[in-house]
Amino acid sequence: MNNIDRLIKEKIERELQANTRRHFIKNCVTGMGGLALGSFFMSCNSFSSKNGNGKIALTERDVNPLASLAPPFPAKVKSVIYLHMAGAPSQLEMFDYKPMLQKLDGQLTPQSMLEGKKFAFIRGTPKLLGPQAEFKQEGESGNWVSNFLPHFSKVVDEVSFLKAVNTDQFNHGPAQLFMQTGSPRLGRPSIGSWVTYGLGSENQNLPGFVVLTSGGKTPDAGKSVWGSGFLPSVYQGVQCRSKGDPVLYIDDPKGISRDLKKNTIDAINKINKEEFNKYSDPEILARINQYEMAYRMQTAVPEIMNINNEPEHIKEMYGVKPGKESFANNCLLARKLVEDGVRFVQLYDWGWDSHGTDHGTAVDLGLRNKCTEIDRPMSALLLDLKQRGLLDETLVVWGGEFGRTPMQENREGQEMAYKGRDHHGDAFTMWMAGGGIKKGASHGVTDEIGYSALEGKVSVHDVHATILHLLGFNHEQFTFDFQGRPFRLTDVEGHVINEILA
Amino acid sequence: MEVIQQLIGRLHPVVVHLPIGFIITGLLLQWYDRKENNLTNIIALVFLWGFIAATIACISGYFLYLGEGYAFDTVALHLWSGVFTALFSLLMFLRLKEVSEKIFLKRLPIVMLSFSLLFLISITGHLGGNITHGSDYLTEPLPQNIKTLLGIRSDTYEMPVLQEDNWEEAVLYEEVVQPILNNKCVSCHNPKKDKGELQLQEEKGILKGGENGAIIKTNDPENSSIYARLVLPLDHEDHMPPKDKTQLTKEEIEIIKAWIANNNDFDKKIGELGLQKELFTAFFPKTHKDIYPNITVAEASMDSIVSLKTKGLHIEPISVDNNFLKVSCTNNPLFGDEDVKSLAPILKQTVYLDLGDTQITDEVFDFISQFPNLTVLKLDKTDISGKHIEKLKNLEHLTVLNLTGTSFKEEHLSVLSAFKQLKTVYLYNTPLAENNIDKTINETHYNFGNYKLPIRASDSIIY
Repeated sequence: MNNIDRLIKEKIERELQANTRRHFIKNCVTGMGGLALGSFFMSCNSFSSKNGNGKIALTERDVNPLASLAPPFPAKVKSVIYLHMAGAPSQLEMFDYKPMLQKLDGQLTPQSMLEGKKFAFIRGTPKLLGPQAEFKQEGESGNWVSNFLPHFSKVVDEVSFLKAVNTDQFNHGPAQLFMQTGSPRLGRPSIGSWVTYGLGSENQNLPGFVVLTSGGKTPDAGKSVWGSGFLPSVYQGVQCRSKGDPVLYIDDPKGISRDLKKNTIDAINKINKEEFNKYSDPEILARINQYEMAYRMQTAVPEIMNINNEPEHIKEMYGVKPGKESFANNCLLARKLVEDGVRFVQLYDWGWDSHGTDHGTAVDLGLRNKCTEIDRPMSALLLDLKQRGLLDETLVVWGGEFGRTPMQENREGQEMAYKGRDHHGDAFTMWMAGGGIKKGASHGVTDEIGYSALEGKVSVHDVHATILHLLGFNHEQFTFDFQGRPFRLTDVEGHVINEILA
Repeated sequence: MEVIQQLIGRLHPVVVHLPIGFIITGLLLQWYDRKENNLTNIIALVFLWGFIAATIACISGYFLYLGEGYAFDTVALHLWSGVFTALFSLLMFLRLKEVSEKIFLKRLPIVMLSFSLLFLISITGHLGGNITHGSDYLTEPLPQNIKTLLGIRSDTYEMPVLQEDNWEEAVLYEEVVQPILNNKCVSCHNPKKDKGELQLQEEKGILKGGENGAIIKTNDPENSSIYARLVLPLDHEDHMPPKDKTQLTKEEIEIIKAWIANNNDFDKKIGELGLQKELFTAFFPKTHKDIYPNITVAEASMDSIVSLKTKGLHIEPISVDNNFLKVSCTNNPLFGDEDVKSLAPILKQTVYLDLGDTQITDEVFDFISQFPNLTVLKLDKTDISGKHIEKLKNLEHLTVLNLTGTSFKEEHLSVLSAFKQLKTVYLYNTPLAENNIDKTINETHYNFGNYKLPIRASDSIIY
């Protein structure tokens, strides 16, 4: 008898010694009582689902948390690509044309406009700053687009503008959280998490919610903007990178071959399967599924994140920069991901905070460069989705976390060398395109200097309600019970913006 | 005889209180007598009465069950726990009297019997109550937040619904205004909980107004507080409903306004008041606006869906309560012509079929022509050349056809014009795409794609 056998024998004997007859009887009393109690309570609970054998029925979701679920209503789109310009782009240099502001350029802002308003940096009485771009009416719709976006002006008939979006946050972190989770404070699930929780994902080799960032930094609010909040963490966004490993730690460690990895996972899953047969805990099945999905992702993700296989004319259309981190690469990736059945693709592009503190943040210089960076890719994205028949079943959303003031920023009350604008959430521009969205519409009007909404004011909650509507949800009924109350993405607010729906 | 049986049965709700009384008395006496043990004889007697009463209750209960047509499943637990209550009372009596020489009986701990009886009598009583009063009888009066904490959902009022063909026949107040009030206002303004001394559940209360007087100034909505408070800014102190409650929708507010502006009439029909249809469109049932056929089909069998899913197919209903299915092969790139035939059990239900990026060939059209309700068909990135595609022309619902990335040939293009419902054909990245530009012929849009963005000097300027 070798040592191992002796150890095993000792373990078995110890276990037997530990369980005396007294223990058995004692356990019986509580055990039987518990059983009886359990069955009584079961009869009081009208929600418990049982199948014919008296076993609790496992749903597909118990086994695979990303298994797809039918939406409550037929959906207009099956995927979403959300382009978030982190830092808040200036609507006054891109879409919201205000000739009157040009005439008032350089004049002091009237006190009536400043009373009761909070600004991040503007102090005292700032001067008004005319638009730093030239505008033209474009396309058949005649919507205004500035010369900062020459390519986008050619696809303007594909989109619907929201010209008077309103947010009550004026700092980046809270405003980004509000825009992405429906609350300016931490702890709520992001839109992408709600959507993957509610619908699951079609492609079982890829994550259901992918996040791509560009511009050198991630959003100010941190990774909570794609967090899952109180939803199970499997629904959080998976950040993929166009430079380096597409997902961190996706490669097998040195010295571990793919076969060995497969054998390891098979062995672990076999043990888990035995555990499941013993305890019937669906969490174990979910874990087995996660191991297998991670293994499949190891080949599927690098393959889809490789843009080099795309034909030259496509790469040229988007203006990709292979091997680098760029918004263009991310737009092309977004198309590839949606094409392969990923539910929600979230892009963040950093660098839109045009305060005018230096060259890079001046609305006539740095902002123009940022516009050039996104102009070609986002226009190409719309066209590429369209020619592949994907635009009909995809929703593309573009926007920042707020807009910018018609006044020139005067940090510390001083006049600044570069032209910049401060944070401003009263009225800013977003656009949507794709399935279920009107082509070439524009909803909402701001006043003559673009300071506040005159009509068609919509809130962040309204934007969320509209996104959920297009995916087949009634935002008022899509809830998750947490800490004693049902939670919604739109909290207790939000109206679907019917004006831009086809 | 049956009459007597029924009578005894109906006495069950009266009789059941006897064993409850006896057993509780017995238990209380046991507790009172726990130190001295002087009353054992009396207690035993009480439990004997308890047993007799419980037995009678069981019998009358059984008659009630027979007479009133309850399903056995509804009463099973109550019945068995009643029988056990009777049995345990008997056991308790026997144990206390020590009439039996049976060793196991003497060994039974009295405390265990007592607790079992307490438990049994409570559960039996509760289950019985559930049968007569309904299972939500106890929890119904709890405040809403405690209910959600316990996971209990309450019924909400139905939203008003008008029909497109007879909306003018609906009485404005009764069928639209009051249901809106019921949904959004009455939970605080009702006879039990009249906040601001206002009751909105019926005409009388609405006309009476609240502590600040009338809430309606006929034909003047702006000065009628029932409307004016709805349109105050959400943060305003007087805004109604309070900020944290469900708000009225834009459309509902417009209805209230229109109702006041038209004499706040309680009897007239919408048609008689001459109101515009636009006001009511939000209350029509959601019209069928998606592209799928407006018919209903039988549900596909669960077994066949499960077995198709195990083959790596993605299948999902287009929505809850809709039997139409979306089918996709995204997760199974090896899917071929033969595999398609495994979809036979869901021919009728499939409206969206994505065979993109699979091994299928032109042979597949034969089988695809058997999907009567197919609306969206994706064959992109396959070896399809278009031969035999004319077989699809009998698919009367086919609306979208995606052939991008195939080797679809020019000569088969003309066949598509015979497809009646076809709205869009995607042909980007096919041999045809080079020499064609997007065009619309007979309501069918041919998308050849190949979009280009010109290289502009400004693309490379850095400011």
